Amino acid sequence: MKNFKLYFYVLLAAGFVACKPSFETPKPSAGTADFSKYIAVGNSLTAGYADGGLYLEGQENSYPSIIAKQMQAAGGGTFTQPLFNQAQANGSGYLRLTGFTATGSPVTALVTDNTAVTGQTAIPGFGNVTTYAKYSGTDINNYGVPGIKLLHITLASYGNLNGFYERLLPGSIGTHTTPYIDFVTAKPFTFFSNWLGNNDALGYATSGGAGDVLTDKATFAALYNLAMGKLTAAGQKGVVATIPDVTAIPYFNTVTVAAILAGVQKANPQVQAIYINAKTAADGTTTYAPRVATAQDMIVLTFPTAKIGTMVSSPAGMLPYGLTPYTPIENQYVLDNNEVTLTKDYVNAYNSTIVSVAGAKGIAVNDMYTFLNNVKAHGLVVDGVSLNSGYISGGLFSLDGVHLTPKGYAIVANEFIKAINKKYNSSIPLANVSAYRSVKFP
Amino acid sequence: MAFAQGFQVNLHGQKQIGMGHTGTGLLQDGASVLFNPGALSMLSENYVQAGISPLIFKSGFNPAGTNDSYYTKSKLATPFTFYGVWGPKQSKFKFGLGVYTPFGGLTDWGNNWQGKYSLESLDLKAIYIQPTISYKLTDFLSIGGGFVYNHGIVNLTRAIPLADANGADGQAQLKGSGHGYGWNAGVFIKASKDFTIGLNYRSKVNTTIKDGDALFTVPNSVKANFPQPNTFTASLPLPSTSSIGFGYTPSNKWLLALDVNYVHWSVYKVLGFDYAKNTPTLQDTYSPRNYKDGAAFRAGAQYQAKDNLFLRFGGGYGITPVRDGYVTPEAPDANRYYFTGGLGYKVTPHLDLDLSFEYEKVFARTQTNIESNLSGTFKTNVYIPGISLAYHW
Repeated sequence: MKNFKLYFYVLLAAGFVACKPSFETPKPSAGTADFSKYIAVGNSLTAGYADGGLYLEGQENSYPSIIAKQMQAAGGGTFTQPLFNQAQANGSGYLRLTGFTATGSPVTALVTDNTAVTGQTAIPGFGNVTTYAKYSGTDINNYGVPGIKLLHITLASYGNLNGFYERLLPGSIGTHTTPYIDFVTAKPFTFFSNWLGNNDALGYATSGGAGDVLTDKATFAALYNLAMGKLTAAGQKGVVATIPDVTAIPYFNTVTVAAILAGVQKANPQVQAIYINAKTAADGTTTYAPRVATAQDMIVLTFPTAKIGTMVSSPAGMLPYGLTPYTPIENQYVLDNNEVTLTKDYVNAYNSTIVSVAGAKGIAVNDMYTFLNNVKAHGLVVDGVSLNSGYISGGLFSLDGVHLTPKGYAIVANEFIKAINKKYNSSIPLANVSAYRSVKFP
Repeated sequence: MAFAQGFQVNLHGQKQIGMGHTGTGLLQDGASVLFNPGALSMLSENYVQAGISPLIFKSGFNPAGTNDSYYTKSKLATPFTFYGVWGPKQSKFKFGLGVYTPFGGLTDWGNNWQGKYSLESLDLKAIYIQPTISYKLTDFLSIGGGFVYNHGIVNLTRAIPLADANGADGQAQLKGSGHGYGWNAGVFIKASKDFTIGLNYRSKVNTTIKDGDALFTVPNSVKANFPQPNTFTASLPLPSTSSIGFGYTPSNKWLLALDVNYVHWSVYKVLGFDYAKNTPTLQDTYSPRNYKDGAAFRAGAQYQAKDNLFLRFGGGYGITPVRDGYVTPEAPDANRYYFTGGLGYKVTPHLDLDLSFEYEKVFARTQTNIESNLSGTFKTNVYIPGISLAYHW
C-alpha cells in the first residue's frame, strides 16, 4: 500500500509536469538601441524620492532601476544606484503614516532614526546646506538628484548647494566645481533617460508662487538643447519625458477651498467665504490682493488647516485668519487661479521644447503630461487595482502628494519602456506592477 | 480552472467518458440517471456504481508585453459520481438516484502572481443529488425525470491592494455554502433494432450562498473600513443543458454514439457579492460576466474485443461561453477539443471495471479583461484519468 501511494504521487507529479502549458514569447531585443550602459538623468522622481524624503526603499524602487531590471533581458548591463547603506537606510528621513484622525484625516510622522544626514554646512551667499553620507562607490547609473532644476545643470557651484548632488561628488562641500551636466556625461554610456525640468515649474507651484520663480522659457529651451546635445554627443539613443501638469498632483487637490469652508461652517454656519491673498493677473505681475477664494484656487497639502479662524492681528485689529479680507490665507499656501494659469502656460512651453528637441534628435518621448492628466480625469485600472490621483487612497502618489509610490514608479517605468520599445523597435518586457506596493498603512 | 466550458464539469461516467462523453442516446449503465433519466426503464438490469475522475491540470498566464509566466499550483480536483438504479424485474418502472458534480472549479494561482488582485484561488463545488423515476411507455419509448438538490460550496481568495507596514498585501476570503433546486428529464426512443435516440433537459439550478463568511485581513489603521465579522450573499445560476444523442449498433462488436449539447450559459450575467455590512470602501461588487450560450459536439465508439473486454475512444469540441473581454483567472476559458479513451473489463458477469482517460486542450486565449485590465494569454492543459466500478444484477 505504501508503494502504491508512492507510485500514485510520482505519477501525479509527472502528470502535472507533462501538462504544463508553455509560452513561446519572442526573445526580448534591443531593436535599434543599445542598452548595455544606461544612465538616468533627472531630479527627485528619477532618484526614487518618496514620502517627502530620499530613502533606501524608495531608491530601490526608482523607475530607472525598474527600467534597468527589465532591460536586462534585452541586452541591458548592470545598473548601479548611489544607494544609502543599510545602517543609514532612512536617508534624508521621510514621512510615514501613523494613522487617521477621528474624522479620517491622515496623520503622518517624520522618520528621523538611521538617517544618512551628516550635518549642515553654511554656504556663503546661499545659506545652510544639509549634507549626507557620501556615496562610496565609483559607478553610478542613476544620476537622479532631488531638487535639481534644468536651470541648475550648468552651474559649477551646484555641488555646494544641494546635499543630494554633493554626496555623489568626490571632494568636500564648498570645493565642488563640476556642473551636473558635465558630471553625468563624464563616463561613456550607450542609452539615457532624461526627466529634467519638473522643478523649474514645481518649485514655484509648491511654494504657492511665493518662494520660487518659474524658469524663463527661453532659458529652459537653451538649456534643454544643451543637455540633449551633450547626452547625444556620441550618437547615444535615449528617452525623455514631458513634465506633468503640476496641478494634477494630490499636493494641490487634497485640501480644497470647499473642504475648508465646510469645516468652518460646521462651527460657524454664518461664514460665507474663505479669503486668500491672490495674484491679480496671470502674467509677470507681482501684485497680490485679498479676495474670496474659489474652486479654481488650489490650497497646498501642507496648509495647517487648524490655523483657519484663529485670531490674528491685522491692520483692522484682531480678526479670524482666512475669514476676512484683512486676514487672508497667505500667499505661500495658495496657488491661486492666476498662478495656476501662469504655471500651466510655462509647463506647456517647456513641454513643447522637450518634444521638439527630442524630435529633432530622434529621441523617444514618454508623454507623462498626457498620461497623468488622463489618470486625473479617468483613473487607471492596472491588473485589477483601481488607481487615481487621490491622496493616499489613489495608490499612485506617496505621502508627500508630489512623488510616487513604488506602484506609481512601476507604472511610470512601464510608460518609459513602452515609449522606448515604440521608438527603437525594441522589446523590453514590461514590469509586473502588482509586485509594487502603494502607501504603507500601519 | 473550470473543466469544460465555464464551470461545467462533464465527467459523468467512465464508459461515457471513454466514448467522448456520449451517452444521451445510449443504454450503457446507471450513468443514464444523469445523461437521460428517460433511459432508466429501458435498462435490463439494476445498477449500483461509483466512479472518480481526478483532474490533473495546469493553467498558465503570460502577461502581455512580458516574458513572465505564472502557473496554477498542482491541485487535484476530484469530480465523482454515484448512481443507483433499481426496479422490479418486468416492471415498467425504474427508480434511480444520482450523486454527481456537474459544476466546479479549482484554481490556485498563489499570492504572488500578476493577477492576485483579481484572484488568488477559487474552489467551487456543486454536488447534485438527484432522485429519479422512469417509466417505459412502450417497448420503443420511455420517459423519466428527477428532482435535483444542489449543495454548493465556494471558497475564494484575492489580495487587497492595501500594504501593511512591511509592504504585504491585505487578503480577502469569501467562503460559504448554499443550495439550489432543479430537475432533469429525458425521453429515450428505440427507433429500430440498432438505432437509439435520446433527448435530455437538465434545468438551471439557481444556487444561492447565504451568510457566507467574508473575511478581510487588512492593516489595523484601515480595519474600520472592512468590518469584521461580516457575511456575504452571492448567487450563481448554474445553467440548463439541452442534449440530443444518438446510438447506432452497426454490428455485434461495435457501438457508435453522437451527442450534441447546448448549455444555456447566457443566464450567467454577473458575479455579485452582497456584503451584510458595507462601508464607503467595502461596497457590494457586481462584476459583469455576460456569458453566452455554449455548446459541445461529441462522438465516440466502443469495440467489444473479447467477451469481457471493451475498448472505447472518442472526442469532441466545446465552444466557450466566455466572450472576449470577460475571460478571468477564475475560469480562463476558451474553445477546446479533447480526446478520450477507455477500457471496460467485466471482472465477473455482474461487475464492471471501467477505466477512462481524457486529454483536453484548451486553446490559448489572449485577452484584456474589461473590468481588471489584466492583459495576457491564458493556456490550459488537462489530463483526466478515471476509474469506476459498477455492480449490476
